[in-house]
Amino acid sequence: MAMNSTPDAIFWYGCNMTRHGEVIRASARILEAVGVAAAPRGGPAACCGSPKDANARINGGMARRTVQAFNGSGAAAVITWCPSCHMNMQDSMAPVTPTNFETQHITEALWARRAVLAPLLTQAVPARVLVHGHLGFQGRVPINDLVPALLRLIPGVTVLDHPYRAPGHMCSSLAGVPGALADCHRALLAVAEENRVDTLVTIFHSCHREAVALERHGLRVMNWIHLLAAAMGLPAEDAYKTWRNAQDARAAIGDERLAQAGETAFARLVEPELGKPPVV
Amino acid sequence: MTLADRIRDEGARLAAACTACGACVRACPMTAYAPAALADTSLTAFGMRDLLTGGVGNAPGLAWVAVCARSGVCSDACPEHLDAAFLLRLAQMRAKGALDEAPRIPVKEDTGFSARVKAFARLTLTEGEQAEWL
Repeated sequence: MAMNSTPDAIFWYGCNMTRHGEVIRASARILEAVGVAAAPRGGPAACCGSPKDANARINGGMARRTVQAFNGSGAAAVITWCPSCHMNMQDSMAPVTPTNFETQHITEALWARRAVLAPLLTQAVPARVLVHGHLGFQGRVPINDLVPALLRLIPGVTVLDHPYRAPGHMCSSLAGVPGALADCHRALLAVAEENRVDTLVTIFHSCHREAVALERHGLRVMNWIHLLAAAMGLPAEDAYKTWRNAQDARAAIGDERLAQAGETAFARLVEPELGKPPVV
Repeated sequence: MTLADRIRDEGARLAAACTACGACVRACPMTAYAPAALADTSLTAFGMRDLLTGGVGNAPGLAWVAVCARSGVCSDACPEHLDAAFLLRLAQMRAKGALDEAPRIPVKEDTGFSARVKAFARLTLTEGEQAEWL
């Protein structure tokens, strides 16, 4: 959906979600199916500024540019994906640059339209799932309640009720603290094994990109959007997971796609991430 | 108003309301990764609060602020009903040198961030999607 016509809403997917283009695509299609025409926007040009937390001038400039672009779109709502973006919009972006839109998380938007969504979930998805929740963000959006509730609308899905919540608001916040992400992954594996779970369901993108390596322990890893898409019959192949767990990421990606990324950029920016050892 | 103004103004407001009682420190799940923060939780909170107004903090306060992962349970624990999670975020930004001060905790900035986001976009999005969505 282009920004040259006024959308109902902007689907603000954040920055690092570009690893999961299928999640952006499926999210937009699911929103559209429940009656929300949401234009995806993200990447460095629509950044909340948090990658530059150590420099308020740059951080604030990025945030202001994003708010001004959203204001200029005419959209009445900005539907968020990323918890950092969502909290930064409320805590520092909107207070500094007044907004003319409301902010809502995608889980809230879908739950509010569950009466429309539920009949669209026609494909059974057999899975006994553990939802990977964090302590943070729950105080802003009851994410650890909404995601399981949405998953329970899918025929065939059984959601385990378990109290484990990882510290932080998503796994990127743990990755910089030595030992914290490994502790989280070990805990998830233990809970999954104790409760005979076959699928770990991530909520956020940064959790997903770290957790996909847990498939090497025999645990299927999907994002909650992958499950909703499967239930609706929408294509949402998790290419990143395939590449991350491949013996040879280059071969898995293929020459044509590699050429799209550019050899230099791939070798410098992408390949080290895909080839890094799992934390557990 | 700028973001720097917001950090400075909200930091001063929250620092004035914080009693440095240490309840936020005791509730924090991340102290497992900064055990020095638990030795004297009031001293840790005092150091964190000092950062909010441009002070140098103290060793346990800096150790705690450095491992903040935005768990948010500190806000529920605060007897003054402050948004302690936001307070911690502001303290962390100050400690990283956001207001052109010398960094007091390690800054792990991904200098390839924007280029990496775009490289992945070229792998997972069509040219049309990149043109419209980025």
